[in-house]
Amino acid sequence: MSEFEPSILCFACNWCSYAAADIAGTSRIHYPPNVRLLRVMCSGMVDAEYVMKALEAGFDGVMVAGCHIGDCHYISGNIKAQEMVTRLKKLLHILGLEDERLMLKWIATSEGPIFAETIKEYVEQLKKLGPSPFRKELVT
Amino acid sequence: MGGNITAEALDRDERRIGVYICHCGLNIADTVDVEAVANYAGTLNSVAVARDYRFMCSDPGQDLIKNDIKELNLNRVVVASCSPRMHEPTFRKACEAASLNPYLFEMANIREDCSWVHDDREVATQKAKALVRAAVARVYYNDPLEIKEIPFNPDTLVVGGGIAGIQAALEIADSEHKVYLVERDPSIGGHMIQLDKTFPTLDCSQCILTPKMAAVGAHPYIELLSYSEVEEVSGFVGAFKVKVRKKARYVDEDKCTGCGLCQEKCPWTADSEYDVGLSKRKAIYTPFAQAIPNVPVIDRDSCAYFLKGKCRACEKFCETGAIDFEQVDQFIELEVGAIILATGYDAFDPSTISQYGYGIYDNVITGLQFERLSAATGPTGGEIRLKDGRKPESVAIIHCVGSRDQNYHEYCSRVCCMYGLKVAHIVKDKTNADVYEMYIDMRCFGEGYEEFYKRVSEEGVNFIRGKVAKVTDKAVSEEEEGKLVVICEDTLLGSIIRVPVDMVVLCIALEARSDAEEVARKFIISRRADGFFLERHVKLDPVATPSDGVLIAGCCQGPKDIPDTVVQASAAAARVLAMISKGRVTLEASVSHVNEDLCIGCGRCEELCEFHAPKVGIYEKPMPVSRVNEALCKGCGACAVACPTGAISIKHFKPEQILAMVDALAET
Amino acid sequence: MSLEDIIQETKTFYCLDCGKCTGLCPVSRYNPAYSPRVMLENALFGFQDDLTYNHDLFSCLTCYACSSKCPGDVDYPLFIQKARALALDAGQHGDCAHSGTVQSLARLMSNPGVSQNRLEWLSDGLRISTQSDTMFFVGCAPYFEHIFDFDSGAIDAVKASLKILNHCGIEPVVLPNERCCGHDMLWTGDVETFRRLAEHNAAIIKEAGVKKIIFSCPEGYRTFKEDYPKYVDIDCELQHISEFLADRIAENGLDFSEVKRKVTYHDPCRLGRHLGIYEQPRKVIAALPGIELVEMEHNKEESLCCGTSAFVNCDSCSKQIRVDRLLEAKATGADTLITSCPKCQIHFRCAMTNKGEEKGPDVEIEVMDLVNLVANALGDGHNE
Ligand SMILES: Cc1cc2nc3c(=O)[nH]c(=O)nc-3n(C[C@H](O)[C@H](O)[C@H](O)COP(=O)(O)OP(=O)(O)OC[C@H]3O[C@@H](n4cnc5c(N)ncnc54)[C@H](O)[C@@H]3O)c2cc1C
Ligand code: SF4
Ligand code: SF4
Ligand code: FES
Repeated sequence: MSEFEPSILCFACNWCSYAAADIAGTSRIHYPPNVRLLRVMCSGMVDAEYVMKALEAGFDGVMVAGCHIGDCHYISGNIKAQEMVTRLKKLLHILGLEDERLMLKWIATSEGPIFAETIKEYVEQLKKLGPSPFRKELVT
Repeated sequence: MGGNITAEALDRDERRIGVYICHCGLNIADTVDVEAVANYAGTLNSVAVARDYRFMCSDPGQDLIKNDIKELNLNRVVVASCSPRMHEPTFRKACEAASLNPYLFEMANIREDCSWVHDDREVATQKAKALVRAAVARVYYNDPLEIKEIPFNPDTLVVGGGIAGIQAALEIADSEHKVYLVERDPSIGGHMIQLDKTFPTLDCSQCILTPKMAAVGAHPYIELLSYSEVEEVSGFVGAFKVKVRKKARYVDEDKCTGCGLCQEKCPWTADSEYDVGLSKRKAIYTPFAQAIPNVPVIDRDSCAYFLKGKCRACEKFCETGAIDFEQVDQFIELEVGAIILATGYDAFDPSTISQYGYGIYDNVITGLQFERLSAATGPTGGEIRLKDGRKPESVAIIHCVGSRDQNYHEYCSRVCCMYGLKVAHIVKDKTNADVYEMYIDMRCFGEGYEEFYKRVSEEGVNFIRGKVAKVTDKAVSEEEEGKLVVICEDTLLGSIIRVPVDMVVLCIALEARSDAEEVARKFIISRRADGFFLERHVKLDPVATPSDGVLIAGCCQGPKDIPDTVVQASAAAARVLAMISKGRVTLEASVSHVNEDLCIGCGRCEELCEFHAPKVGIYEKPMPVSRVNEALCKGCGACAVACPTGAISIKHFKPEQILAMVDALAET
Repeated sequence: MSLEDIIQETKTFYCLDCGKCTGLCPVSRYNPAYSPRVMLENALFGFQDDLTYNHDLFSCLTCYACSSKCPGDVDYPLFIQKARALALDAGQHGDCAHSGTVQSLARLMSNPGVSQNRLEWLSDGLRISTQSDTMFFVGCAPYFEHIFDFDSGAIDAVKASLKILNHCGIEPVVLPNERCCGHDMLWTGDVETFRRLAEHNAAIIKEAGVKKIIFSCPEGYRTFKEDYPKYVDIDCELQHISEFLADRIAENGLDFSEVKRKVTYHDPCRLGRHLGIYEQPRKVIAALPGIELVEMEHNKEESLCCGTSAFVNCDSCSKQIRVDRLLEAKATGADTLITSCPKCQIHFRCAMTNKGEEKGPDVEIEVMDLVNLVANALGDGHNE
């Protein structure tokens, strides 16, 4: 049996984390291909519903990546994202979902290596957790 | 609502999408099977044509798109190539050139996000397909957006009349554009007017600043609003509305000739702000002789008339009848296109570091007080004197007071080493006292700074490397009797030393203004953790802020010396002049929009928007609903997340667009 | 199911085109473009797209104000329920409030792999068991606590219900992996998810071996009673807690402390027009010593809907219906508006959450679930 390969959706803020991924690219820092980036203008734009839809669609982990606190292009979008994630985690906890499946991470533009490292670590973490209980193929 | 058939029903199946996969030479094609991706794209819903090409961003590549739009009637375009942060503008322009609204274009990043970071060709090709599938799914829901422009008001507001504000105001006004300069104090000049000589050239601060101040006062294009503060800011870049409170001076500016008789006659005094408490000024006063404007103010807190109901001596003696106790604060409404904030810094209050004895021992003074002692316009006429009038025989200069210290400010205040050296030089020069300079590192980074350090070293100043632990008057030896003893470890010798001196000068930190938070909120900008105003980009956009049209210059952005302050002020002025010369502002098209049928007027959007764009009111409907001032909206999307009904959404980042991508990316 | 089948099942062809429904519809009052009659007419003409792609398909509150008075006995809400399933097939799902979180949760919950932590709100004072013949259906309250930015009160109502049951000597079964009843899924056209939820609930209820299920949420109650039988087999007695309480009070009386309130009672559509339960809640209120019950202008069969259902039609029109209802409640002079539906309570409380500078009419009134009113009056002396 081949090893379980988790799938990750990363909502990445245009001004920092998405740019960090670009830097990882230009610096040819390789990271696992398990992640799909979805560019948003700010982490505060990510609706809880987007995360739930991603889980429903079968992603094993969802990452919301924004600018470090204090650096948000729109002043406080990342603080709002933090509130959203805290609240959503409570819902997902009741649903029986492991806390790690939703990750909030601040990654600045210059932190390309940190972006790549984060993805590597997240993939490892999710491999240990196994497939999400919401994975489509499990639905009867 | 209203019995409407949904938009989707009306134009279902009319999408004709063109997809272009770029090889980027071998940058992409090496790792991704671009042909396979193009073939795959051709099978996706609503895709009319899918091609691959060596360099999509080249002219022939762009022509490919333009021709297809015309010949194949494409109404949506996807390019899979590099990061949208790189070439999105290029391809949007190409679409526009072929009369396709640029927002009907979408990009898939298969280079930075794929070919450059993965090496397994099969996996990378698979991922590239997913990214293209997501872009196609998204572009399906893209709407054409209207790109709006408004005229740019060529008048400018400068807040703060220190060297930064003065410089910026003059540069803009010299190009014959109106500037309103709002200064909170009775006179412009800021901290620079308090300084004696300026490092490293030791030119006299007042001599170089006062001509500029006079130029401001006389400039036909500058309207100086001194003793004034900004109360309220609304509007947006190109069309700000600003309400200024002009505080009552109790002196009629038009009648006053600046003769100074009132100040002579006034019997009441208070500590002089200008001399940092080293001298007294009157209750009616101009802060210093060369004040601009040269019109005194009455300080209500020290005026006997305001405190006790009688005196009015000034009124009796004023020959022009300029004193007016009935004056009240006035409110002035200004309309400007851009705003430069130059509100400067506060000097750190060292009394919070009790071990240095500031406020306890008479002869422990701050660097700023030293400037006043040393200045010819100061309380001693430029003589360096102890409190009791004696000449000091020995002086210690303590560096990094409040700076580079986790307990106070983590940052380096950048100017203290240099002004510490300046103090050393002046003390040597004027008193020939023994000078001890206690420092952690000598940071002499600017033009002529290292040379100045060398020069001062050669003047016989004793440099001791160590952060001072304590200043005390408890003598342990005869030699220390009647002296202040500075205790520190000389880290180069590795031993504790006690230095008895007559005077201690504290090189205090520069810190953010105590009201910086309030000012930031008023102008909708952010602050760093250290409290100073945050620039839009620390390297590439150091004078802009998240609020378009609001610029920052000088020490309000962080501690710096005069040369750097002036450079920043000029940069901010240049940015404003560039906007004025363009004459129009293009408004962000991807902004929020309220579906008033869905809106329940709950005001969540209004409450949380940092930019005050949405406003709940009673418009056409009987119930309150929200409306967005598009010019204020930055399109951050926070409101859409908070909206309980989905009434407010961000154009170009609608839930359909994002969710279509989520689903498309999940497919395997 | 085709449009033709729907017409057959809901007897739409009996429509007399009289327009009585439109006249009675609370939505039509504020959204003149919306007419139940015209919706039916379009269906009868076979204009399927005009139905499935019509945004107003989702405006109906399914409150039964129309059908309860229809001279042709057309079941319009049922017609809407079925037509929404058609619309969903065409990719239309209306504008779900809270970005569709409630619907997403239900879909996620319908997944067999899910094992929930839904009982963490249980506190020491509340007793449940695994042995009882009686089960209490909790519903979505544990989730509601974290969806809204105001106090929904839903979990407090669940706690109050348990307190009441415990007080009456019942330590009910409460299932740790109970799923959403599926009400909102069914009424937004997602029949597939509904079926999965129903099947799951049926299976675990069977396993628990209970004989009776008590609900404090009328939606769950209605769904189990009217809709589950079409999909699954639930061989249990079903009861709303207001019925249970009315019985207990009639049998042996309950010891209540004095309640100094003037209240008015809002009939939830599911309990009222859907199931005909009007008297029991009123009897329960009347049993509280010291309380004064006053009726709103529209009550019982004539009651107005709280303005939203299945979280799919929260809009300006819905807000106006809610504001109207709250103003009606205030006009009675009551200090408290009592309802016996957690959703009505949520929608009313939401309508009072106005954060903008312009707040519209003053609709502030205390809104409380019947079970909280009763639980507060029970025994422990503390009663505000
Ligand atoms: C002891 C000492 C010695 C120094 N010596 C030197 C030196 O020798 N050489 C050198 O290059 N640099 C020196 N500096 C640094 C120098 O003082 C600064 O670089 C310079 O003054 C910064 O100017 P600014 O205009 O940014 O700020 P400021 O001088 O602080 O001016 C800000 C102005 O804005 C006004 N203001 C503030 N808030 C508001 C408001 N809300 N509304 C309206 N107006 C407002 C203030 O009243 C003030 O007039 C020294 C600093 C210190 C502390
Ligand atoms: S998108 Fe951001 S800036 Fe625009 S109205 Fe909403 S919260 Fe304000
Ligand atoms: S948050 Fe939504 S419903 Fe509330 S006022 Fe704003 S747009 Fe309207
Ligand atoms: S702009 Fe990056 S998180 Fe807000």
